[in-house]
Amino acid sequence: MAVSTIYSTQALNSTHFLTSSSSSKQVFLYRRQPQTNRRFNTLITCAQETIVIGLAADSGCGKSTFMRRLTSVFGGAAKPPKGGNPDSNTLISDTTTVICLDDYHSLDRYGRKEQKVTALDPRANDFDLMYEQVKALKSGVAVEKPIYNHVTGLLDPPELIQPPKILVIEGLHPMFDERVRDLLDFSIYLDISNEVKFAWKIQRDMAERGHSLESIKASIEARKPDFDAFIDPQKQYADAVIEVLPTTLIPDDNEGKVLRVRLIMKEGVKYFSPVYLFDEGSTISWIPCGRKLTCSYPGIKFNYEPDSYFDHEVSVLEMDGQFDRLDELIYVESHLSNLSTKFYGEVTQQMLKHADFPGSNNGTGLFQTIVGLKIRDLYEQLIANKATARAEAKA
Amino acid sequence: MMVITATAKYKGTKMREEKLSEMIEEKVKEATEVCEAEERLEECRVAWDEVEEVSQARADLRIKLKLLNHDPLESFCQENPETDECRIYED
Repeated sequence: MAVSTIYSTQALNSTHFLTSSSSSKQVFLYRRQPQTNRRFNTLITCAQETIVIGLAADSGCGKSTFMRRLTSVFGGAAKPPKGGNPDSNTLISDTTTVICLDDYHSLDRYGRKEQKVTALDPRANDFDLMYEQVKALKSGVAVEKPIYNHVTGLLDPPELIQPPKILVIEGLHPMFDERVRDLLDFSIYLDISNEVKFAWKIQRDMAERGHSLESIKASIEARKPDFDAFIDPQKQYADAVIEVLPTTLIPDDNEGKVLRVRLIMKEGVKYFSPVYLFDEGSTISWIPCGRKLTCSYPGIKFNYEPDSYFDHEVSVLEMDGQFDRLDELIYVESHLSNLSTKFYGEVTQQMLKHADFPGSNNGTGLFQTIVGLKIRDLYEQLIANKATARAEAKA
Repeated sequence: MMVITATAKYKGTKMREEKLSEMIEEKVKEATEVCEAEERLEECRVAWDEVEEVSQARADLRIKLKLLNHDPLESFCQENPETDECRIYED
């Protein structure tokens, strides 16, 4: 959020005057009450509040569909910056800017080859620059951010990023550096299990003539040591972890199409109230399919329980299976609490908006959507809180 | 005017698609060779990481075109329609 400095000066004859702070991005309007001697300072800052969300995952910045769901909740479609580098990784909507952390690579593809360092390695990334720029954006200052070009593997000339209302930093290392972590208002870690990762990469790559089952497997294995050393440990810092596992509903399923997804929510996070089923803090096992709701194979199974995750108290909401019909989705939504929706059916509506995206019929889409609503809620609470604080600070 | 298409609209995007597919092929070959030598462990990891990078980039482009109906060159080509990259791709 923007830090505002208040100047009080003696105005002689004027009833209104303007002054600006030394950080040069804020303008203050002062009005002196003519009838009384009491000075009435009306603070108007040009700098808006910016919240910063961190999203960690292995699939780099390609989570276009996750981002779409997230930004869709805030309103507006996220698009690449107009007229800029066509290989830019940035997405901008009315309220949100999504930055790809690959842009902070200190080593391009050639540099990494030469230094024998993968992109997962912290040595390939400039955390000082990442911290400086995220901090600047958070305090309302625009930055010239480098662009890492995934096609050429080179660092392209920078693009200008204006401070948005909601800044999302996504990539491999949003929570790696402690200074950057401290700037995050909320953080998410997308934790894909090895079996699901393998199944997804097969789906992703098998159509490519360069790939085979062996090459896909070899690539995952070769990246695993760096992944385990540098990326995976970040999940302990996340406010929400979306864990994606193989389903338990189909024995020996290895297609990765039916999924068991767990939303692990940290307790005690400011402005974040975990979603729950029926009774907060209790343990619930729920199969919605039965007399009132008919589901097709393999059905849907929910679990909710308190737990401990890396020494933190968490609440875990789990969905195994898939939605086949709209009424299944709305039925489930009507039984969940603390969703932070603005109207009944908002989750279902958001899911339907992106019905063609992967994960739309299972927990991945559902929990991504819910996380989006939680972030919106967090943002609105934070703004309301700041407004109250400012109103109370009036002389 | 919105053209619903599952493939690249502009020549530049088609070129990127092909380039990425070629790079995947090349880099898989390279990684397979490099990894044959046990003492080149670090290089082996880097080589497969490159494969992952280009594979993901290729997949992202496919998602943009198929799911999001957005050609990444759209905005650039509105401003620069006369460039070679911005010629409409004919199948």
